[in-house]
Amino acid sequence: MTRAADTSPATLRVLRYDARRRAVTIVVGDRTIAVPRRALARLARDAMQRDSFICHAARSAADVLGDEVCFVPQGGRCEIVAIQTNGWRRHHGDHRRGLVEILSDIAAAVARSSLRFLDDDELAAELERGDEILACSVDDSASLARARSAVAMGLERHGVDPDSRHTMQLCVSEATTNMLMHGGGSGTMQLRLLDDRLRAVVADRGPGLDFLNWVGPPHGPAQASMGYGYKIILDNLEQVLLHTGSEGTTLVLDRTFTTGD
Amino acid sequence: MLHTKVEPGEVPVINLSGEIDLDSAETFRWVVGETVKGAREAIIDFAGVTFIDSSGTGLLVRLCLDLRAQGAELRLRNVPPPVADVFATMKVKELIGEQAFVD
Repeated sequence: MTRAADTSPATLRVLRYDARRRAVTIVVGDRTIAVPRRALARLARDAMQRDSFICHAARSAADVLGDEVCFVPQGGRCEIVAIQTNGWRRHHGDHRRGLVEILSDIAAAVARSSLRFLDDDELAAELERGDEILACSVDDSASLARARSAVAMGLERHGVDPDSRHTMQLCVSEATTNMLMHGGGSGTMQLRLLDDRLRAVVADRGPGLDFLNWVGPPHGPAQASMGYGYKIILDNLEQVLLHTGSEGTTLVLDRTFTTGD
Repeated sequence: MLHTKVEPGEVPVINLSGEIDLDSAETFRWVVGETVKGAREAIIDFAGVTFIDSSGTGLLVRLCLDLRAQGAELRLRNVPPPVADVFATMKVKELIGEQAFVD
């Protein structure tokens, strides 16, 4: 692993172009930074007219946002997903995933609506939905197994099919492990039942999502996850909602289910 | 919780049962490291593993590659379907080679 001399982590930024308001807002990342809103709006409108997502490799007006910037049309708005690598690069032979691959996964998930970034109001509305089945705190690695066990028992009690139970256990494990390693070391997990789906809400008060874990050198077992935790989550769930900022990160994991064995 | 049982021999076998996650990763790493000392090859039997996530799988890949660089091969057998699904998502066969999987 090689990288530039500074010690800044690589970071993710997400902005949103609202066609009706003709405005660009920052959804994920430092909301105080100056961004070229007019240029971004023009690029977003271009992607919306083509109705396909477009990735730029740091050669346009969007450069200030990051090394890789994707414009993903979604109905009346366009999500703008950017990674600033801050000099981190993968060297030959490193088996962890490249930043471009991770960004592509995120952009593709946004494009197929399986990943949605939430602003503060949207998060508040989502947290009101459904009925709570259980809630627990996760504050050390031993509590990961307890959280998984609680998920299994809670879902079995509600007659949820074994496949959905196992999938939710796996995805909750990935989300809570990420929370322990990168989300300030503790947080909460809540399981909710909506009309047509299961919902796990994993929330921390950590420093917000960054990509340090995916580009840093390996320093122990957690660093060996190779950045696949989010891929496992995105591959196995119908929808993932993400709210992240300096006040913490909340992941909402949704999966439809059947009842019975 | 992860349980391990080692069958010593020219090609030692590490029988795993239970769950491999962040909490049990260090046990997993230690058992593999101790078992492979002095051996050219070791088998990990996953038959009793009920759960693995990306931190456990990532560690497995790193152990396989690091030991290979030191001249020792880890072979994996009896991988149950839920574990195989995680391996497939993380492209384990591409990373450590199909020859690492044995019957």
